[in-house]
Amino acid sequence: MNSEQIGISLDLINRHYQEPNRNRYESKYFWEELYPLIRASGFRAIEIPYEPVWQFGGRSGVPMNRYCINTKYGDAANYRAKLAEAGIDHVAGVTFDPNLFMRNGSIDFYFGASGHFAGEALAHAADLGADYFAISPSAYYGRIAHYHPDIDAKIATFADRETDMLRGLAEKAEGTGVTLVLRNEYWSLFRGERILPLLDALPSSVKLDVDTASLTIAGIDPADFITAQIDRIGCVHLTDTSFVDDAETWKTANPEFPEQRATQVFRDPGTGTVDLRQIVSLLDRLGYAGPIMCSARQTRDPFRALLRTRALLNQLQN
Amino acid sequence: MPNIRYANMCHWKAVPYREIPNFREFYYEDKTNTAYYSDWDKILKYQSALGFDGIEIAPWDLADILPLFGSPENFAAFAKDRGVEVIGMFHGAHASHAADHFDEAVKSGREAVDTIVKFGGTYMNTCPTQNYFGSGPLTREEVQQCAKVMNEIGLYATDHGVKIGLHNEFFCAINLPNHRELIESTDPKLVHYCIDTAQISIMGEDLLSFYDTYHDRISTFHLKDTASARQPDSVRYSQDPEITDDGTRWFWEPGLGELDLKGLYALLKKHGFKGWMGIEYDGSPDLLASMALTRYYLDNELRPIYD
Repeated sequence: MNSEQIGISLDLINRHYQEPNRNRYESKYFWEELYPLIRASGFRAIEIPYEPVWQFGGRSGVPMNRYCINTKYGDAANYRAKLAEAGIDHVAGVTFDPNLFMRNGSIDFYFGASGHFAGEALAHAADLGADYFAISPSAYYGRIAHYHPDIDAKIATFADRETDMLRGLAEKAEGTGVTLVLRNEYWSLFRGERILPLLDALPSSVKLDVDTASLTIAGIDPADFITAQIDRIGCVHLTDTSFVDDAETWKTANPEFPEQRATQVFRDPGTGTVDLRQIVSLLDRLGYAGPIMCSARQTRDPFRALLRTRALLNQLQN
Repeated sequence: MPNIRYANMCHWKAVPYREIPNFREFYYEDKTNTAYYSDWDKILKYQSALGFDGIEIAPWDLADILPLFGSPENFAAFAKDRGVEVIGMFHGAHASHAADHFDEAVKSGREAVDTIVKFGGTYMNTCPTQNYFGSGPLTREEVQQCAKVMNEIGLYATDHGVKIGLHNEFFCAINLPNHRELIESTDPKLVHYCIDTAQISIMGEDLLSFYDTYHDRISTFHLKDTASARQPDSVRYSQDPEITDDGTRWFWEPGLGELDLKGLYALLKKHGFKGWMGIEYDGSPDLLASMALTRYYLDNELRPIYD
């Protein structure tokens, strides 16, 4: 596999959690300085987490939604041109998770807002020329349970509404050339292999997004999962972890921050225990030709993470 | 008992842990300072150690705080155990100038008051409506509509032991031409004012004359400095001006800008202000350093004038 075809997600920038100097991430200059550094790290493709939150507080310097891009660049084409100037010639994908909208006891609000903004995000992905739109099919299980303590009894109803929403998105995606893929985070109502019945209920155009760390934390061997599902995989995220969820952290309100024992759940690629070289080799052997994205979410240092990830990829055979 | 107590407006971004039980182990994972900014236990201890006994909650943090602590009451108790009390919460009265939004704006304001009461707070500093860009200039009727919403929320708040304080941003649709008109259109018994020293100066108000004029309406402050007073319409009315593209800062720690904060303290003494002085560090790259610098300036420059 040619590692030059593997992209990097902009989720390596910590937009939401406290740390010194994070305020710079809200200004346009930070991102425009970042893009050439991404290219210098050997990446030509990026992934953008779509985050509606940045349009609500006038923080349009964060290039994570259509409003921000239109405010700062006029339109997606101008933004792509700006990326191209920095040597990034492709926005491979856009991701969307609905956690922002799980904030009260109204399930109608959750699905209404999620559906609306997921539609916006999908259209934005098309404008950016993305290959895939990766959606998380649920908010954090623990956050849902906080606002809806009876969620276990209502999971079938939730799944039905989610299915309806995803069918609508699938229909829109089919007309745009963007592949709709389902993320399989370990904290989801549809974690691990629970994603499969949801996928079964959707059109065949909808594919799986394999996240190697999330599968590992959910207790599933990513190599086995990939081998079994290879024909349904539309995107692969190379994520790393050393975390073992022995206290049902996945059920907590903030599952990426285990409350019993603080730890960095998602490690920089190559520094955890997931054998990412084996995964890439397996994908190669199985003839997988779809998008592959590295993710260093939760990194303590995005610039070190870029180089660590490149150092890992340099160990792969071209 | 001093006349002024000090609080911080919460500008910490999401803090993911309540308390980290394995701090040394967590530190050794990567040997960076991440561990020092990841739990409320330490954030509140930093505040307490630096003499900031109050915290004003940011409403955008509720979606993280409430699931993390289970309830506002739990958060308030956790903070109190560390020497910090919740004094209130900021509120944005979105679209309060729009007549067809009256019911929703009032409902949202009342819900915010209810949340503050659960936290044990008594202040709701309230931005009267959204940004100028996209909604300004407001008509006289729209300003009056805004005042009507503030009075209605203020009535509910007063009945629940909460003081609402108008809090104007320099980029708000309520702006220099109608700022005082709004204040004077509200009921002084129900609607108070929170002076954000930098915001109103950037907007074009003279800080000292404004306080001198409205001192009996002032419920609390957001104290911060600026080196950018009296910005022109072209800046204040532009799209999303709060976060600049090139990283230029509007706001600085007290003493690092150009405002006459010593003059303000002389006026606080003249009018015998008693209450909470909230400090705000938006734009700071290092909130802990800003907090410490502020404490030094307070103790050495401002508190000797009036305490």
